[in-house]
Amino acid sequence: MLTAPPSNADQAIAALLADPMMSPLIAAHRELEPRPPRHAPWPARIDPRVVTALRARGIDAPYTHQASAYAAASGGRNVVVVTPTASGKTLCYNMPVLDAIAKDPAARALYLFPTKALAADQLVELRALANAAAIGLKTHTYDGDTPPNVRSVVRAAGQVVITNPDMLHAAILPHHTKWFKLFENLQFVVIDELHTYRGLFGSHVANVVRRLRRICRHYGADPVFICASATIANPRELAERILEAPVELVDDNGAPSGRKHILVINPPVANEQLGIRGSALLTGQHLAERLIRGGVQTIAFARSRTAVEVLTSYLRETFAPPGHPHTIRGYRGGYLPNERHAIEAGLRDGRVRGVVATNALELGIDIGSLDAAISIGYPGTIASTWQQMGRSGRRAGTSLSALICSSAPIDQFLAAHPAYLFDSSPEHGLINPDNLHVLLNHLRASSFELPVPAAERFGIDETPMLLDVLEEDGYLRRAEDDRYYWSHDNFPASDFSLRSGAPENVVIVDTTGDRHRVLGEVDLFAAPLLVHEKAIYIHEGVQHHVDRLDWEERKAYVTRTDVDYYTDADLGITLKVLEVFEEAEEPPAGKRQRGEVMVAWKVTMFKKIKFHTHENVGWGSISIPEQEMHTTACWLVPPAELVNRYDRDTLDGALIGLARVARTTGALLLMCDPRDLGVLAQVQAPFTGRPTLYLYDAVPGGVGLTERLFTLIDELVRACRAAVDSCGCADGCPACVGPAIEVGARGKATVAELLAGMTA
Amino acid sequence: MMSRTLADRLAAIRDRAPAPRPARTDDDRLGRLARWFDARTDVTEHGTVLVVERSVAIATETAELLRLHEPAAYFDTETTGLSTGAGTVIFLAGVARLVGGRVTVRQYLLPDYPYEPPLLRAVAADLASSTRIVTYNGRTFDLPMLVARLTVHGLFREQAALPAAHDDLLPDARRLFRRPLGGARLADVESGVLGVRRTSDCPGSEVPTRYFGYLRGGSPDILADVLDHNFQDVVSLVLLEAELCRLRAGGWREAPVLDPRGMALDLLRAGAVDDALELVETAQALTADPAEGNALRRVAARLLIALGQVERAEELWTLATRRASLDAATAWIEVARIRERHRADLRGAMEAAAAASRVLDVAFALGRGGSMAEVGRTRIVVERRLRRLRRWVGAAERRARFAAGPVGRVA
Repeated sequence: MLTAPPSNADQAIAALLADPMMSPLIAAHRELEPRPPRHAPWPARIDPRVVTALRARGIDAPYTHQASAYAAASGGRNVVVVTPTASGKTLCYNMPVLDAIAKDPAARALYLFPTKALAADQLVELRALANAAAIGLKTHTYDGDTPPNVRSVVRAAGQVVITNPDMLHAAILPHHTKWFKLFENLQFVVIDELHTYRGLFGSHVANVVRRLRRICRHYGADPVFICASATIANPRELAERILEAPVELVDDNGAPSGRKHILVINPPVANEQLGIRGSALLTGQHLAERLIRGGVQTIAFARSRTAVEVLTSYLRETFAPPGHPHTIRGYRGGYLPNERHAIEAGLRDGRVRGVVATNALELGIDIGSLDAAISIGYPGTIASTWQQMGRSGRRAGTSLSALICSSAPIDQFLAAHPAYLFDSSPEHGLINPDNLHVLLNHLRASSFELPVPAAERFGIDETPMLLDVLEEDGYLRRAEDDRYYWSHDNFPASDFSLRSGAPENVVIVDTTGDRHRVLGEVDLFAAPLLVHEKAIYIHEGVQHHVDRLDWEERKAYVTRTDVDYYTDADLGITLKVLEVFEEAEEPPAGKRQRGEVMVAWKVTMFKKIKFHTHENVGWGSISIPEQEMHTTACWLVPPAELVNRYDRDTLDGALIGLARVARTTGALLLMCDPRDLGVLAQVQAPFTGRPTLYLYDAVPGGVGLTERLFTLIDELVRACRAAVDSCGCADGCPACVGPAIEVGARGKATVAELLAGMTA
Repeated sequence: MMSRTLADRLAAIRDRAPAPRPARTDDDRLGRLARWFDARTDVTEHGTVLVVERSVAIATETAELLRLHEPAAYFDTETTGLSTGAGTVIFLAGVARLVGGRVTVRQYLLPDYPYEPPLLRAVAADLASSTRIVTYNGRTFDLPMLVARLTVHGLFREQAALPAAHDDLLPDARRLFRRPLGGARLADVESGVLGVRRTSDCPGSEVPTRYFGYLRGGSPDILADVLDHNFQDVVSLVLLEAELCRLRAGGWREAPVLDPRGMALDLLRAGAVDDALELVETAQALTADPAEGNALRRVAARLLIALGQVERAEELWTLATRRASLDAATAWIEVARIRERHRADLRGAMEAAAAASRVLDVAFALGRGGSMAEVGRTRIVVERRLRRLRRWVGAAERRARFAAGPVGRVA
């Protein structure tokens, strides 16, 4: 490969790294050496038109992983490809699919992407490739943005249908008779971004695949599945769990990469006693400003939608003079399609110099030449961190990725132990397709699609029992032919959503002008936090005051406003034990139990926080009905002789600290996103009557996290003790049990004593 | 996870108390149903089909009217839901035909889900023996539904044999009756136009519930109303098609309930331009509402233009210019538009626009102009068109002079 002359980005990055002001902030710096490509010969049987098209695009030979994926897929074997961002993963499935259609125009393929934006991107890519190959490929996206007149054409004639699991679930499978040409000839199903199908969403998607297979069998098809995933610890296991079939793993990446610097940045300590560090957001802002000023096209990821909007407004103040708002753009889930498309186009043609995004952009949209990626706050998993870092990077030339640690415990853990980020294996994708809530819903949907013979198994061996339950509930009826038929006048697929327990979104309506205008949507779970009455809802950097939240109608009415604060709501959680599955009394840690619980949460108050200084300038109360979730949990009751030594207040603070450290270390042990693991400490728990620490799956029905954690309780306690003892702070900091102001002056010491007693 | 039984866990997450378990169905479900409705049971090689046959006499002149048409199968279905998704089933299909002076109806009734394939084959074969199907909303519902069911069971050959000709009467009924009746459901048309009075009926929303009730062990009697409903639907289809024939054959002249605009469009489609114009003119003469009159004229003019009869369209608007009023100005504008767009007569268009301007002045002076706002709006439209036409006419004339030779070129 030729060495490229140093670009703006190269110089700016070099200058940044050489700046003495930066070095105290850098907790870790790794430099990834450029890597040369490794190629394989063209497969012998591939259609020559496909080869010609790829040659015309400058691909003289496939990378090794592309050739392996082709061999597996065209040989009829399911395959999962795991290689980094921008390694030519798309070709791993486009090559076998296009080849099959070139050889037999009747062949069909179904592509699943987790978002519409990704689907739209892949459509462009696939069309360009097909055109170059002079294969008259009929392909289109099929989702909420597809015009009605195009839909019928796609159904009847689309050779490659590009959609998302939600659409497959709600629109395609229930109407499979309109799609029989697709199902009859379905040769390939492509599931990209497989790692996103974890937890509850993944459990749903696994059931959608069960339904898809039933329909395929009905029409006599047996498609090969081609999956692609970002790096996770168990891609093959996850793929096999979702597909319930053997899957071949391809992870030998043959793609080249340019030099890349990876930084872990820890903002300076702001308050020694509280253990609070400077704002990650502000540090991220300074870094982004510096890079953008140096001509480095930069993307910054923030964890919350509010943070995205705040940072967007800050950067715009710096870079976008009034009247030129388009150099800096915000990008997050709630945006409407045309807004999103404009931002994506601006990124590609370079008009947009900086983007602030939530995880919506984390997924592999091919936006081209980004030079730097800044993750503000640990995104929650190692896999997402690498995904975000992978957004910067070029085949040649230098790129930069930075993780800016927040005060959150897990972030501080990473700053102290960067090896965890660089060397440890990333998370496991855990799913539980047999979660009863999930399974029952999909069994209903599936029996609407095709009657279920009494002998058929849908996921679990107890299927007949579930069918009887659905019959008792009036959904199904077992007829004389021993098949269960849908016997209800509603449409089961519209009763539930794959993405969360909540089926609906709250629509945000701007009433500022003469005519009401829909700004966007937030999901039902996030709505109490974001659009409660008197909240400041920020959309594309513009502040809106929430005048009224109509909870029944799922509508929030807002007007444009301009104030110097934003709002932050507090969540209150209660927990009720419904059923104990198993228990054990093992000294010294204490009694532990596992079972089913009902977790209820309510947003009760919010704080007004001033911009820039981040001081608290007021508060208000919120009246939104309590939300409930039925899930699985495990809990630990420390021995009485340990806890009886302390007064109630001390113990209360210590338990809060213990919960905090348990969540961080629990997430590490399980290798899951800490957000998937809920914790609650009760100094006198109604169920146990004693001080209790609850850990629960933060997903309705549970996805198996606490089931596994139950077996790891002693290990968890030991790891917590190590984390607290090794922390250098005096009496509690966000990296361990939390600041003293939250856990009490003796909080850290008490937690340490408790943990010592529990591991003695 | 297994210390508790699945049944316990199911009970814990279920959102409602279990309903009493339905009694297992009687052994002779089919026989009982057949006896109840006095139905014929056809035993075919693919299974048993239950057919209820009934007929009703209709007026001789009604039957006469339909002689003009190719004979048809009048078709309507009752289903277990309104979604056309794969879980919705046709449990009753009515096929009516005109035989002599009677409408004979075959109703295919589903005794239970497993009997669906033979029922579908029988219905498809019945329909295939005609060359034309007539439905009400069948284009979006009944036919796609039947096709979906045939597809579920892989009955593609049966699907291919369905008649190609399909007349859905809903669009016609909408055009002709929706505005005067305030709705175009078949029930509206029956009571408002066909003079059909239903004695007992079953609301459409209740239909699936009744069938589920029957399946879960209810008496076949709860289906009686549904069968009657379906019977009346297909009979009404026959009457409606006859009524449409009558209207098109000149019956519109005496029709008490009819949307003249819709009827005019209908006649124009059939090529009966003279009748359409007569209708529009009569309606215009009768209507007290000038807005409605103008709307009628607009319909006629547009369709005349579409038919290539530009001169007649112009004539139609010219008739409306006689009395100085705001409407006359509007009519002149239409004349100008027709001359400009369809006759390439810029000068003529300019003259018409100038006439519009004059009429507007007169109307305003006489106080016939309507509100100030309306006059103002019309004034703006007229003046803009007039300015543009003057400019174009001027330019065209200069070009013409120039092309004729450099004689009188003005400096």
